[in-house]
Amino acid sequence: MASATRFVAPTTLPEALTALEEEGAMVVAGGTSVGVLLKNRLVEPTSLVFLGHVPGLTGVSAEEDGSLRIGAMTTLHDLAREPSVREAADVVAKAASLVGNPRVRSIATIGGAIVHGDPRQDLPPVLLALRATVAVLGPRGARKIPMEEFLVGFMESALEEDELVTEVVLPPRHHRRSAYSRFTPNSEDDYPTVGVAASLWLSSEGTVEDVVLALGGVDTHAITVPGAADLLRGRTLDEPAMEEVARAASAAARPTDDNRGSEDYKRAMIEVWTKRALRQCANS
Amino acid sequence: MQLSFMLNDEPAEVDVDAHVLLVDVIRGLDKTGTKEGCGVGVCGLCTVLVDDAPVSSCIYLAHCAAGKSVYTVEGLTARDPALLAAFVEHEGMQCGICTPGQVVSAYALRLDNPGASEAEIKEFMAGNLCRCTGYGSIADSVRAYVG
Repeated sequence: MASATRFVAPTTLPEALTALEEEGAMVVAGGTSVGVLLKNRLVEPTSLVFLGHVPGLTGVSAEEDGSLRIGAMTTLHDLAREPSVREAADVVAKAASLVGNPRVRSIATIGGAIVHGDPRQDLPPVLLALRATVAVLGPRGARKIPMEEFLVGFMESALEEDELVTEVVLPPRHHRRSAYSRFTPNSEDDYPTVGVAASLWLSSEGTVEDVVLALGGVDTHAITVPGAADLLRGRTLDEPAMEEVARAASAAARPTDDNRGSEDYKRAMIEVWTKRALRQCANS
Repeated sequence: MQLSFMLNDEPAEVDVDAHVLLVDVIRGLDKTGTKEGCGVGVCGLCTVLVDDAPVSSCIYLAHCAAGKSVYTVEGLTARDPALLAAFVEHEGMQCGICTPGQVVSAYALRLDNPGASEAEIKEFMAGNLCRCTGYGSIADSVRAYVG
């Protein structure tokens, strides 16, 4: 394969976009997933466009309204450490710190994590639960895509071939409580059987104002549980309410049998870990 | 395609295809301390430093290292004699196959988090597998070096 593949290392965003206009070009962000994909001959790009030398794609900035802009090339290592992330969205820092091992986290990026679109990854459900937005740039200009619409299938995103992700934007925290809780029966650094991310907004009376539940590892891509907010809004988060929404979560997923569990087992685990994530939120 | 980078403080220049992985370039330059184990970034055998960050060279595209500074176990042990001394003193090896990766990771940990706590050491080093399960003495070695 690939002996004709070119390695392109643009040093500006316009150069990167020009490189991506070539048919069969593939972006390399950190390079953790691309290395594995190439090695297993799952992709055969005509060129590899490495974004490591393009300035302005790393780092986190906190906006006045409390939203957080995270550069697409920010590594998971930095995401886990960055004080502004820990303050505004500690669940993102926590999820980043759980991914793989230090060698993965030191080069894997947030942009790469969402574009790669492996359904078992930790960050996509967390970003869904936070209602994050993905900022994208291409030859037709910039656009913003809600995470919900960004993930469209198994290792498939809404990104066009000639576009790249520039930022992930997290909305202001307000009184959001968030949690990510995952079940890794094999080993800690393995992909989870199921990962559940939850965001919860409670009223001053302690009833549910709003909730977002998102699941990883149990469908072709990370999904949000439809109807979770309608089920819980105005109620106290007691055991019957949690049972009900946990069943809804389980019904919303389309898990398949694999070495991390059978379909039935995964459905049962979705219920268990959904309740744990919600309890974590309520107690935080 | 031409690729230049620094390998253990010396300039390296090779002509390799776009999809070639760093582990193969390094071994091709006779730095055979770095081994390929699992080949998917899990076991830690092939750990090297690229601009001070630990990476699995078995999945790291060689051309991503262009212009960067790469250190292998040979370079790091030459740079800091205390590194190997800690592993010798605490017998942090059994069969030895995972040792180069453990040694590079210990160095990476000290760079990233000097004075790491016991829990942080275990967390960080958990990404380097030892099939002999000699983790106790490896952890002792790393603690001696990092602490």
